[in-house]
Amino acid sequence: MSNDHDGSPLDLERILVRYLAEELLTRRQLLHRISVVGATVALAPIIAACGTSEASATPGVASPTSAPSGTAGEPTATPEPTPQPTPEGELFVYNWDAYIGEETQQKFQDKYGIKVTYDKFPDADTQLAKIRSDGKGAGYDITYPTSVDIPGLLRDGVIQALDLSLIPNARNLGPEWVNPGYDANNAHSMPYMWWTTGFAWDGDKIKDDLTDWTTLWDERFKGHMGMLDDIREVFAVAGFRLNLSPNTTSDGDLDAMLQLLEQQKPLLRKYTADDIGDLTSGQLWITHAWSGDWGQMLTDKPKTKYVVPESGAVRGSDTMVVLSGAPHPVAANLWIDFNLDAEISAGNSNTTYYMGPNAAALALINPDISGDPRINPAKATLDKLVELLELGPDLDKYTQRWNALKA
Amino acid sequence: MTAAAAERPPRRPIRERLAGLLFVAPGVGWLAVFFLLPLVIVLIFSFGTKDPAGHVSLSHLGFQNYLQATRQEYVPAFFNSLRYSAITTVLSIVIGYPIAYWISRYGGRRKILLLILVMLPFWTSYLIRTYAWMIILRDNGVLNSILQTVGLTSEPIAILNTDFAVVLGMTYGFLPFAILPLFVSIDRMDHNLVQAARDLYANGRQAFLHVTLPITMPGIVAAALLTFIPAIGDYVTPDLLGGAQTTTIAKIVQVVFTSGRDWPYGSALGFLLMVLTLAGTFMALRTLRRETLGGG
Repeated sequence: MSNDHDGSPLDLERILVRYLAEELLTRRQLLHRISVVGATVALAPIIAACGTSEASATPGVASPTSAPSGTAGEPTATPEPTPQPTPEGELFVYNWDAYIGEETQQKFQDKYGIKVTYDKFPDADTQLAKIRSDGKGAGYDITYPTSVDIPGLLRDGVIQALDLSLIPNARNLGPEWVNPGYDANNAHSMPYMWWTTGFAWDGDKIKDDLTDWTTLWDERFKGHMGMLDDIREVFAVAGFRLNLSPNTTSDGDLDAMLQLLEQQKPLLRKYTADDIGDLTSGQLWITHAWSGDWGQMLTDKPKTKYVVPESGAVRGSDTMVVLSGAPHPVAANLWIDFNLDAEISAGNSNTTYYMGPNAAALALINPDISGDPRINPAKATLDKLVELLELGPDLDKYTQRWNALKA
Repeated sequence: MTAAAAERPPRRPIRERLAGLLFVAPGVGWLAVFFLLPLVIVLIFSFGTKDPAGHVSLSHLGFQNYLQATRQEYVPAFFNSLRYSAITTVLSIVIGYPIAYWISRYGGRRKILLLILVMLPFWTSYLIRTYAWMIILRDNGVLNSILQTVGLTSEPIAILNTDFAVVLGMTYGFLPFAILPLFVSIDRMDHNLVQAARDLYANGRQAFLHVTLPITMPGIVAAALLTFIPAIGDYVTPDLLGGAQTTTIAKIVQVVFTSGRDWPYGSALGFLLMVLTLAGTFMALRTLRRETLGGG
């Protein structure tokens, strides 16, 4: 540690402060966990004693990778005019698979010297169950919930307010993403990507130009169709066919939707959690799919097609949030700022085929993506799309019918 | 001297008992904290309700979750679970018995090596092995390519996402759990008994049915339990290899916990499943005891 920095007293102090902060944090977390588990008071000193050795080990591991490059190298290179909080040496990110630019993580690590641990979840249910398991994020710093989940996560104290002074790149947001309905003034979340939910098909197997949801009830494709394994999205499709709101809580509406979905079930191969893999492997010929996933299918199967049916479709957006129990809040805010950078945001879109909310990034996004009306629909189409809303206890009505449908 | 000698004998067992307790304490403590406590929490939650935010509330305890758990929509899912587990158990024993018998009787010096081979799949994650089955079974997969090359079929046959794939995957996964207890009981058997039966003019089939099979019955029951109990709670295999047409009770419990965010209801469903499985286990064990007593 000492041979790497150039002896500036400021650096040494920073390293020491961070070292102490991390050690205390680790020990405090340990003690908190013990109290949560409900172990006896008698056990606490023993485990705390174990914690001391563990805590002293953690910064020791972190310091060779992060301290010299992050705290010793960076601040001396660019002297800061205002006293900024020192970023921590680590960051824990929890995101969907294949939902970020190829180089984003590496570039962030290079810039800030913060070691990023990047974990993935397979579906939103797993994500929410995990970050809600201890009510404050299960040890992660950053995650990517859907916008409709923001009010609930905020109400339950799972996410914390952003430090907007650390996120100057928020100025890059397009006007429609500033101060969104689900989060006043973007105080707790920053938009990440947005999408539509339509359906995709294999152009080699099906030559027709498909346009409407009725296709997913077509006997000709029996045994080759899939729906997303997602309660709300599936009921929404039935809703569009019946001209009912996908946010309905009326039992009559939901029974009608269920009846229609029961007619569809015998024609389906599966309810898929992997629309990309199932279509590109040939297991499914047609699948209910998210727009960006379709873009990723093109890499393996260039003849894949996608449509946003005109009778209606779901539109949604994902956000970046800092979890309330985040062990590294400063690094987390820097991560959000970094992902709102025009170049980084464009890189994310170019990899994932999802459009971001970043007005400054638009010119840098591959025109094949930004110019495709199916990924980036015109305003007229967008206005017809519906966002799914959080339903609170009424979600039970969907879950019950979903279980009945699948049983 | 004599008084001390008289005092000593009653003292020793206490010390021994204390030493025994000391050795057992970590294990008991571990089980109490990490096995019993979670189970008690599940039981308590199952009588609770969830508040509008989806949190568990224990202010009004009652049986409402259990009443709701007996909804008739879940009956097909429950029977699917039973069906999958029962077929898997029978297949595992029918396939595993000859293998265990062969290793025990003819394995010779390679017995240990053969047993290690039986356990070899455990060295790779079950999830990864299930994904491997997906690659083998899917429409453009290994199996369909072979069938088409050989000319047995012109169009791919739907194998993945069917009941067949689920039973295949589960049998594959649980087979080692059946082979190991079967091996132990067959290996322990005194083979002279079979010789004796043959000397008394039993043919091979009769000797097997009247000697080998009854003596190895405890192994068969152990294999059945070790297969059936985890199989009924398995939701990974039916989820990955199964299709849209069937679901299992374990998958429903998962959906209630995650998408539904209704922990009390999910706890009740899970507890019911556990009670039913335990009841079945006790019945099987009682039958076994009666049979072994009758046989002996």
